[in-house]
Parts: sequence; structure tokens; C-alpha cells
Amino acid sequence: MSHPAPAIAVRDLRKDFGVFQAVRGVSFDVARGEIVGFLGPNGAGKTTTIKMITGLLKITSGTVRVDGLDNRTQLVQVKRKLGYMSQKFSLYPLLTARENIEFFGGISGLSPRERARHQARMEELVPAAVLRQKVQDIPPGLRQKVAMFVCLMPDPGIVLLDEPTSGVDPEARRVFWNDIYGLKKLGKTLLVSTHNLDEAEYCDRILIIHNGELVAAGAPDELLRQRRKASIEELFKDAIEEHGQD
Amino acid sequence: MKLRHLVRKELIEIVRQKELLFLLFVSPIIQIVILGYVVSSDIRNVPVGIVNLSRGQTAARVIERVRRSPLFSVRRESERSEDYAHYLKKGEVKAVLVFRDALDRKRNVLKYPEVQVLMDGIDSNTAMIAAGYFNGIIRDTILADMEKSGRGLPVAGRPVFRFNPQLRSINTMGPGIVAFLLTIITMFITSASMVREKEQQTLDTLLMSPLNSLEIYLGKALPAALIGLVDMAIGLVVVVLWFGIPFRGSLFHLLLAALVYLAAILSYALLISVLSASTQQSMFFAWFSLILFLLMSGFFTPVSNIPQPLSFLAAINPMRYLVQIIREIFLKGNGIAYFWKDLLALGAIAVTLVSISLLNFKRFISR
Repeated sequence: MSHPAPAIAVRDLRKDFGVFQAVRGVSFDVARGEIVGFLGPNGAGKTTTIKMITGLLKITSGTVRVDGLDNRTQLVQVKRKLGYMSQKFSLYPLLTARENIEFFGGISGLSPRERARHQARMEELVPAAVLRQKVQDIPPGLRQKVAMFVCLMPDPGIVLLDEPTSGVDPEARRVFWNDIYGLKKLGKTLLVSTHNLDEAEYCDRILIIHNGELVAAGAPDELLRQRRKASIEELFKDAIEEHGQD
Repeated sequence: MKLRHLVRKELIEIVRQKELLFLLFVSPIIQIVILGYVVSSDIRNVPVGIVNLSRGQTAARVIERVRRSPLFSVRRESERSEDYAHYLKKGEVKAVLVFRDALDRKRNVLKYPEVQVLMDGIDSNTAMIAAGYFNGIIRDTILADMEKSGRGLPVAGRPVFRFNPQLRSINTMGPGIVAFLLTIITMFITSASMVREKEQQTLDTLLMSPLNSLEIYLGKALPAALIGLVDMAIGLVVVVLWFGIPFRGSLFHLLLAALVYLAAILSYALLISVLSASTQQSMFFAWFSLILFLLMSGFFTPVSNIPQPLSFLAAINPMRYLVQIIREIFLKGNGIAYFWKDLLALGAIAVTLVSISLLNFKRFISR
């Protein structure tokens, strides 16, 4: 019986910037329909890993497969399967939210009818007055919502979110994670990087990365039980200390 | 067509920046008008001192002509020979004319006065031109005297200046200013475009889209080309209507040359944009390049003045060919049959720059 390929398969992934090794032999899988939290302090290698998965950064060594496709040789097909939202929400600050939606829909090859449908859907989620404002003038929580919407417009099966909750208030974070569950119900696979450890509880599995190396991986409850820790914060400290001693 | 969305986005970003809009569409008019008056090799009201030690009528007639000339303004007059050095040293005047009577010792009569023309050589251009005009005034006075006495020169060269009969320097500068505008506007918009995407972190989203590198490249270049052409049209209207510079050639030829030039300059600016780490860096590169392009374009001084070891820089300077072609079209009304060599050279530079720039762009995108 053949098993379906994982949504994302990363093997011995490395990235060097000159003499600095940003990612040192990271390997993990993300199964279809899973929410995987990618945890680590700033500078741990989360963004670099995610960018290598998207093909935005060249891989020094190792492999990345997305839906079974090699992202070095089949990058165009890989990009079609991925949705990616970067740390700063990647919207054009001088364009209105509506213009951003129109632009990203247009360059993604969506038809005018599809773009109009998306605009109408967005108006259900965000007040029309906000959509008419320049992105630079709307609050971070709403900006994040628009960025997420833009990222999902081409209907990707796999969504990579790089620090999506940084700089947004707790209420917006709660709403965001509700939306993430909504996406999971739709069958999407999600890899979400964060340095907010309390967000680990929302994930099916977590990956903890430190100094470019994966120091723990598994379901949050399982990891807590294995390491006999009461909280993700303790688990995180323990994993990092253990890694430091190796 | 996905490219259309990128072009539209670029134009919206430009339109939303009011200060930039002013710089793009109003400042060119101000620049042309100011440059048109300031960047001129014509001389006017050059301050002059006169030391007249002659008692003859000829010196008085020459002095009168100098006084009436709009080119000179007589600021100091003296009859003491020691004054001239003092005038020049203090900077009160840029030229001193010293008239002395010369004695024909054989016949013991006064000859034409000797005229010494002393120039302040610090402003060498004005000094050279003014010296030429002084000599002209002196020669004309002598010729007028000879004609009165029934004598004439056996041979007299009378220059006829075609294409710019009044030798107005604005006629030479004006077309060059149009080329300058096309360069400065497009260079600055484009050289910052990719860096800005990097800085506001929108580049990643752009690169994750199905747009290919050529579409992104064109999406960045086309809006700048469009704005450049609008500015060129504004420049044309101003130099023709405000300064009365004749446009004798074909608009189609001008557009053709401008399009080839834009391919070269936009590729260069995009190269700057992908090689720069910040907007500040890209602006510095653009400014430095612009100065080099301008100085070696024949805009201010003839390209033939550039010393041999540096002449290769002028040979690969796209602006040099555009300035030359625009002058040909404007003032001589020449067509491609006359400037095809310049157009060919410009085309070769454009092809080279587009190739280098596209290669770097692709490398940058698949970094």
C-alpha cells in the first residue's frame, strides 16, 4: 500500500551565508491537512527555512519536496501549490486594500469575475470603508487579514505563514487562529512560524528550531509528556538547554 | 495579461506620491526654463575696464562701439596705465582694454593705436569668447575706416552660420535639455523600483506570483518609459514655444531615438536597482552615473574635447548619441540617413545593456 507524499518533505536542509550557517541540516515532514507550528527565537532560522521551501532562497544543500515535487527542478509547479505570507504582510502601502486585492488577483492570473467575487467576499470580512483606505493607514490586525486573504486568493493547498501574529493585538491573534482552523477544515496544510510560544497550543504539531537546528518535533501534548514539562515555555527552555549541552 | 496589472500598480504608486508627481511633471518645466537661461555659453554684460592712453579718434571710436555693445558693460575708465592690473586683480572687471598711440618712426606720424586686451582667464570660456568679440570690434572699426578711404581688403571671409544663424547657445542647449530630462526622470524612478520592493518586503510576494522575470522586468521599465516620454513631450513644448527653438525634423524619428535610448537607460537603471542594497545606495549610483553621462554627452562641451584616454567612456555613453541625434533632428531637420551611425551605436549599447541587465535581474530573482 503506497502512502501519499507529505505536503512538505524537508531533508537535511542547509543554508550558509558566507561563513555563517543559518540552517544546519534540518529535516521534517508536514502531513496533509496539518497545522504545524514552527517555533524559535528571532534569528533561529525559521524565515530562512520557510524561504528555502518557497524557493525564494537558494538551498545550500539538502532537498525540499512540496507535494512530491522537487523545488529545485520544479519550482514553477511548486509555487502554484504554495501560498506564502511574509513577516510584514507584503502589501503595497500606497495602494488601497481593494487595489492590493485587485493587483495580486491580476498577477495570479485570476479572471475579472473571480477577482470581483474575491472583492465581494473581502467586503464581508472587512468594512468597505477600510478597503478604500491606503494599506499604510489601516491597523495591523486588518492589514494582516487582508494579507492573509491575498495569500489565499489563488487557492493554494499548502500555506506558509511567517510570523503572521507579530505586532498584532491579542484579540486579532485569537481571530487569526480561528481563521487558521477554518482553513484546516477546508483541507489546507499550514506551516506557521512564530516566536509566541503560547501559540503552540493551536498547532497539531510543533517544530522547535534553535541556532539553525531542529531541537524538538512532535505534538505539543506528547512533547510535554515525554519531557515531563508543564508548559510549552518550559519545554522550549529544556529543548534549547539540552541542545546547548550537545 | 498579468503585465498590465503590474504596470497599473507601478503607476498608482507614483500617482499617490504628491511630491513625486510634482518632481515628475512640474519640476521639468522649471528645470528647462532655469537651465535654458543659466546653461548658456552666450556672454552678456561682461564687466570691462578701459584704460585709454591714446589721443586719437580711432581709439575713441572703438571704445564707443564697446560701450554700445550689449555684450560688455564698461565699469571702469581711466587714463593712467598703472590702473589696469589693479582692476583685474580686484575682480571689478573681467577684461581691460588698454589703448596706446603707436608712432610711425619713419614718417613721424601716429599710426593706428595699439590695443592690449587683458582678460581674466579664470572663467576661460567667457575670456575666450569675449576676446574674440573684442577682436571683431577692432577689426570692424579698421575695415570701416578702410572702406571710407576707398580701400578694401583683397580677400574677406564672411562666415554664414547655418542651422543656428544667431548663434544662440539655447538652440544648442535646448535639445540637450530634452535628452537630460528623459535621462534624469527615468533613471531615478527605475533605479529605486526594485530596491523599494526589497525594503517594503513586497518582493517576495511578487516573486511567489506566476509572473516570470521578463514580466517583472517589463513591469518596472514600462511605467518609467511612459513617464519619460510624457516628460520629453513637456520638454519639447517648452523649448519650442518658450525659447523659440526651431524643430525642423520628424517627431517620429525623435520618438524612435528616444525609445532606443530608453531601452538602454532603463536597463542601466534596473541594473543599479538590483545591485543596490538600499534606496540611498541606488540614488547615489544613479546620481553619480547621471553626472558622468552628462559631462561626457556633449551637452556642455564638445565630445571632441574629451582627452583620448577617456574617450572610450564617451563612446559607450548612450546620452552622447541621444544629444547628438536630437540636435540633428531639431536644428538641421535631418533624418535617419544622416544620423544612422549614431542610432546604430545607441542601439548596440541598448542591446548590450539590456542583456547584462536582464541576466543580472534573472540572477537576482533566483537568488
